[in-house]
Formats: sequence, structure tokens, C-alpha cells
Amino acid sequence: MTTSSASPKKAPRKVATRKRAATAKRPAATKKSALKPASVLIVGAGFAGLGMAIRLKQAGIEDFVILERANAVGGTWRDNQYPGAACDIPSNLYSYSFAPNPSWSRSFSGSQEILDYIHHLVAEFALESHIRFEKNVEDLTFDEKKGMWTATTGKGEQFAGRAAVMAQGPLSNCSFPAITGLEDFKGHKIHSARWDHDYDFSGKKVAVIGTGASGIQIIPELVKQAKHVKVFQRTPGWVMPRPDFATPQWNKKLFEKLPASQQAMRNLLYWTHESMALAVIWNSPLTRIAERVARLHLRRQVKDRWLRRQLTPDFTIGCKRVLVSNDYYPALQKDNAKLITWPIARLSEKGIRTVEGIEHQVDCIVFATGFDVSHSGTPFPVKGRKGRVLGEEWEGGAQAYKSINVSGYPNLYMTFGPNSGPGHNSALVYMESQLDYAVKGVQKILQGDLKMLDVKEAVQRKHNKAMQKRLAKTNWNSGCKSWYLTEDGFNATMYPGFATQYAAQMADFEENDYETA
Amino acid sequence: MASIDLDKMLAKIKSTQWALSDIDWDAPGAELITEEQWPKLKDFMADLMWIEHVGARAFAAMAKKAPTDTLREIYTYFHAEEQRHANAEMALMKRWGMLEGDEIPEPNINLRLVIEWLDRYSDEMPVYVLGTVVPMLEIALDGALCTFLLETVKDPVCHQAFEKINDDESRHLGVGFSVMEMQGRGKTFIGATKMLAPLLDPRLMLGIASYVPLLNKMRDNIITMGLPEERLYAAMAKFEKIGGRTEDGRRNPWYQVIRQHAKFVVNRNNRAYHVPVDGMVKLTGLIPRRALPAVPSWVKELTYQPTA
Repeated sequence: MTTSSASPKKAPRKVATRKRAATAKRPAATKKSALKPASVLIVGAGFAGLGMAIRLKQAGIEDFVILERANAVGGTWRDNQYPGAACDIPSNLYSYSFAPNPSWSRSFSGSQEILDYIHHLVAEFALESHIRFEKNVEDLTFDEKKGMWTATTGKGEQFAGRAAVMAQGPLSNCSFPAITGLEDFKGHKIHSARWDHDYDFSGKKVAVIGTGASGIQIIPELVKQAKHVKVFQRTPGWVMPRPDFATPQWNKKLFEKLPASQQAMRNLLYWTHESMALAVIWNSPLTRIAERVARLHLRRQVKDRWLRRQLTPDFTIGCKRVLVSNDYYPALQKDNAKLITWPIARLSEKGIRTVEGIEHQVDCIVFATGFDVSHSGTPFPVKGRKGRVLGEEWEGGAQAYKSINVSGYPNLYMTFGPNSGPGHNSALVYMESQLDYAVKGVQKILQGDLKMLDVKEAVQRKHNKAMQKRLAKTNWNSGCKSWYLTEDGFNATMYPGFATQYAAQMADFEENDYETA
Repeated sequence: MASIDLDKMLAKIKSTQWALSDIDWDAPGAELITEEQWPKLKDFMADLMWIEHVGARAFAAMAKKAPTDTLREIYTYFHAEEQRHANAEMALMKRWGMLEGDEIPEPNINLRLVIEWLDRYSDEMPVYVLGTVVPMLEIALDGALCTFLLETVKDPVCHQAFEKINDDESRHLGVGFSVMEMQGRGKTFIGATKMLAPLLDPRLMLGIASYVPLLNKMRDNIITMGLPEERLYAAMAKFEKIGGRTEDGRRNPWYQVIRQHAKFVVNRNNRAYHVPVDGMVKLTGLIPRRALPAVPSWVKELTYQPTA
């Protein structure tokens, strides 16, 4: 999958069952509980929402409610359980520093293990009683007089909080792509982010559309199971080798007995990834070296010149998400696999028609086509001061202050808000900075008994002007089409700098930047 | 032909796609191929199919070097469409019993050399080199070869297939000439000279050395099959007229080179050109097949099967 720095692995039914059981024990939200305002409302029980909850608890703020639309925690990692799903950032870095796990089984863990870690967070920090499941927030409105946010669910239930945290995740929604004839196809359709675990691939002819982070993880697994796999690629990505190893037992013990050693490992991984920013974010001599490494990886694994050509990207590395895999290229060359680079003309009743005039007939189409990333709207209406609607203000591209606050929407904090995405480092490193910033904001609201803590518009404008100026010099804005950019090429997604710079940006909560009441 | 809006053209291309399965390859009419026609037609179709296929590969190379995203996508489509034409022509050959089992017709040695060159060097060529050669070849295909084919073959399925192929080709030509003009726009003498600089590139020299005898060989094959020579003259005149219809088009030095070369090719009396080139045809005919590397895998993508 294509989360920045994340990509989910096998987490099938076992977990879902366990989660449903846990849900059953939880009291359903009542009208009474809905009416009592909390200090903080958190939307989403994925990594971000749970991390927020932990940091609030650690800061002594216990009065918060987490609204989760599904019946289980885990967000992206709960949803992305396709075969082969795994994280593409080492687990020792793709985990919270305030909740280390000494027992990661591999350097790059699968989605099952990451989901287990998320469940461990819920248990370890006693978060379960705060979570309200099956509360699909469809509206978030600020009452200026009361200084209160109210979340309204699809069933009409309302939850109020003095502050709100939008932690619904940037990669939480998906849909089938708009391909002509989508409805004509009579075979089975599966989206990578909503895997059908009951479908048996053995003996089946399968098409996979999409060769991004999800696609390249699914394909090797499907090639093992299916009779034949046709891979439909539009744009090849840069694929780097994946240094994935099983963690030796002694290593786990060492991390357990000597936590400082795990921290040292985390630091090493952190700085290694930081150095990659020089290759991935900006076009530098290191960019050429990174491209050379990827080309060598391709050359080593693919001997056929034409296939290599088909798999060679024509954009600067980093412009789109850099992929990591050791088994994708070999899988494509198996006898029961074939890479198809002809453009897709349409879907038909029996398969996929490509422009070279051939109908590729299959039993099942797997859409590894990514997520519905919103660059210009909000997942549900968010209404701020004086009836302002955030989605409308963001029509030309989302903008925020330090990615976390938006002027006119006081006491509202966003995780993975505009321009907070990393291209080279762990998303959770960025997340931690956001969580701590939000805690500071919430503390100010509660301690100062503020109705409103609203970032000044001029401050936000100045911040974004500088942000876009910096973005113009990055590889993301170098000409390729990616989900980082809007149709008009506006980059509302990525942070143009090192994770260390981002952390420095988030380290200070400058009160003067805010209007209070 | 006025300069075209490439974005609209791309939308049109996407909305006018067809597949081999749109044609009933078993419909009656195959018996209309006469016994006398059959052997000549077999060679003609094989040449035609291969020209389409190498044209496809040329578009793939042009997509790599296209100056805009739209043009890159158009060329990507044209690459696939030329492949579709080759596939459809193979399907006709299959229908007429001209294929031995599932075998792809054997390319002649000159085609093999061009295939080899395309495989190794075409991606490195500036877009204006192939961008001028391809429209010339297409106009010869469209204006001379296909017209001749439809005049001599009565099979309605052949007509049905070529109606679709010709529709595609007219869009290819529209884009081709438009791009030729774009490349000539505002060219100064120095700019034009720079555009000709690749002529000194040994890789392009190799390309010319494989392309030139191929054209002569194909011309002779086609004439032997009964294509009136005037048709080729007319096609070249059309290339000259459309390519040179504007100042920009005429300023494209590659238009001038290709136009001049096309004139040489169709004029059999030009001994200064044809004697050495015919010599090259003979010489290349001596190259043993085993001296050539295996055909690139893109050639194996050809198929007459409407479904896979």
C-alpha cells in the first residue's frame, strides 16, 4: 500500500474476530454520554488517534473520547490486509518512541504484526474505555459561543469536546478507479484496501491493476497462489532493494533487557533515513546515486532488455513514492505472470481490453490503485467560526499552519494535515511531533480555560507562502503526476524538509501566533 | 490540415478505441482471395505487418522523448495502436491461412536489422528524428499500400479491419504533421543545424544504414506485387505537400532531409542513390541469421488472437 512510510501485511480474520469480541464488551454510546462534553474529541482509532490518546493520558488529560467508524481499531493497518502487506519503513522506526516494541520479528514487519502492536497500545495504555466504535463522524461543527466542537455521526448521535483532533488518516478511503466499463466486468473485483479473504485464488486467472506500493506487495503473493497473473502497469516506480531480515532471538532479548540499545538502533535508522532526504526530496548528486542503486537492482533481477525498459521509470526518483521490494521483479518473470504496459481501453464482461486490441480475460481483477487522497476537501464537513466551511476554503488546495491548525477553526488539530507527509522517513516520527504539539494546544485551552485558540490568518498565510516556495524546489514538484499533487499540480501533501526540521517546526507552540478568547 | 489541439486529440483517441474482438474473423469472405493472389498477398501482408510493428516500436521510443505529457501519452497510445494494426493484420493472415500454426511471419534480414537498431538505440534518438520518419512511412502505408490492398482484396472482413486501421492512421498523421511543425517553429539557422547534429551520431548512422536498404527492398517487393509505382510518387508528394504546408513545417530540417530522401527512394532512375543502396541490400542478404542476436522480446508480444 502507499501510506507514506507505511505498507500493510497479512492480518486476516483472526484479528477481525478478536476485535469484534472486544467491541461487544464495550458499552454502546448512549444519548447521555453523547451529551456530556469531553475535553478532547478524537476522530479515528488508527495509529494517529491512539497515539494522540496516549500522549494526552501521559500529559494527565484523561477526559477524551475516540470516535471510530469501524468496529475495530487499527485504521489503515486494519483495512489493508492483502497478502504480502507490510511496512516499507523498518519497524524499529515505524513505531512510537514512547511505546517501543523489543520483539519485532523482522526488520520490516507485516501488517498482522503492526496491527498486533496497535492492539498492544490499546491494552498497555488502557484506551479501550475511551473508544466509541461504529461512530462514523459525518459533521464537525464549532460553536463559537460555547467554545465547543460537536461531532455528529451518521446515526445522528452527537459528541462534544472543547478541542477536536482529526485523526481519520489520509489513506482511509478507497474506491475503484474510474475505468470505462467497470460495471461491465462480471468477474470478481477486489480492492487492495478492502481485501476479500474468502476469495480463493488457486486455479484462477487474475489481473492486478496498479504497480504502486500495494501492487508490488500483492503481486508476488498472488503469483504463488493463482494460475496466472497479469499485471497492468501505467507508470513504473523506482524500486529499491529491501534489507529485510528476521530478528535474531538475541537481538530481541538485548532490546528487552537494554532499552537504550533499541533507542540506539532507532537513532541509527532515523539518521540513515534522514540522509535519504538529500536524494529523495531534492535533486542532488545523491539523487543520481539512488537512481543508480535502483537501476542496478533492476538490472540484477531482470535480464530481458525490453522488460527492463518497461520497468524503468522516466521521472526523478522521489517524485513519486519510492518502492522497496526484493520479490516484485522476480515474481513478474515467473511463468504464470506477465507484465502488461499497454494502456487499458476499457473493462469488458470477461476482462480487460487494452489498446493493442486484445481482451485479457480473467476471473478476478485486483485493484491496487491506492486511496482517495483528499488534497482539496475534507472527509466530512468541518464548520468553523462564522459558518466557515473548511472544504470550501480548501477547494484550491488544502492549507494549514504547521500542518496542524487552520485559521478560523479554533481548537482543532489535525494529524497528517496539509504538508506534513514524509517522503524519506517514518510517518510516525512526524506524527509524534504533531501529537505533542496538539497536547500543548489542548493544555493551553484547558489550563487557560480558553473558549478559543485560533491561529492568526496572517501567520498561516506567511507559513504557507514559505512552504510552497520551498516545495517548488523539490522532486515532488519536478513534473511527474503523483497522489502528492492536485490535478493543478499544487502540493498540499508533503513537507519539504528533513524530519528534524519538521520536529523543530513543531517543537515550539508560539502563543503569539494565535488569537485567544 | 491546421495545427491540432493535442489535448482534444488525446481525448478523441481514448474515446475511439477498438479491439480485435470487435471483428468477426470467421465471417464469410475469406474465399474471395484468389489462388493467384494468395502467395503475393502473403508476402505483402507480412511486410505490412512488420512495418506496423516497427512503427509501433518507434512510437514507444518517441514516447520516451516526447516534450509534453500529452504528447507522451498520445505516443504511448499510438505505440499500442500500431501494435493493434499488426495484430489485426496477423489475424487477417490467419484467416487467409497464411500463418503456420501460431508462428509469427519471419521478418526479412533488413527488417531484422531495423528491429535490432530500434531495440538498441531508438530510445536515445531525439523525438524529431523518428517524428519525421514515421509520418513519411505512415503516409506511404496509408496512401499507397493500404489503398492498393483494398482495391485488390475483396474480402469484406479485410475492408472492415482496414476501415478501423485507417481511422487510427489518419489521427497518427494528424499528430505527426502537427509535431513536425512544432519542431520547426521559430527555428533559426543555428537551431536547425543543431537539429541535424544527430546525423553525426554513430548510433543514428547505424540506423540509417539499416533503414535505407530496408526501404529499397520493400519498394521492390511492393512493386513486384503489382503496386503501381505512381502510388508511391503520389504518397511522397502528399508528404511533401502536407509537411511543407507551413513555414514552420518547412523550417524543420528533418522534413527537408526526409522529403529529399523519399524522392530518391521513389525515383528509380537516381542511380547515384540506388546502385550503392541496392548493393547494401545484397550485402545485408549475406548476413547469416545465426550472426544476429535473438529477436527482442517485444516482438513476441505480437498475436492474432483477439483474447488472451
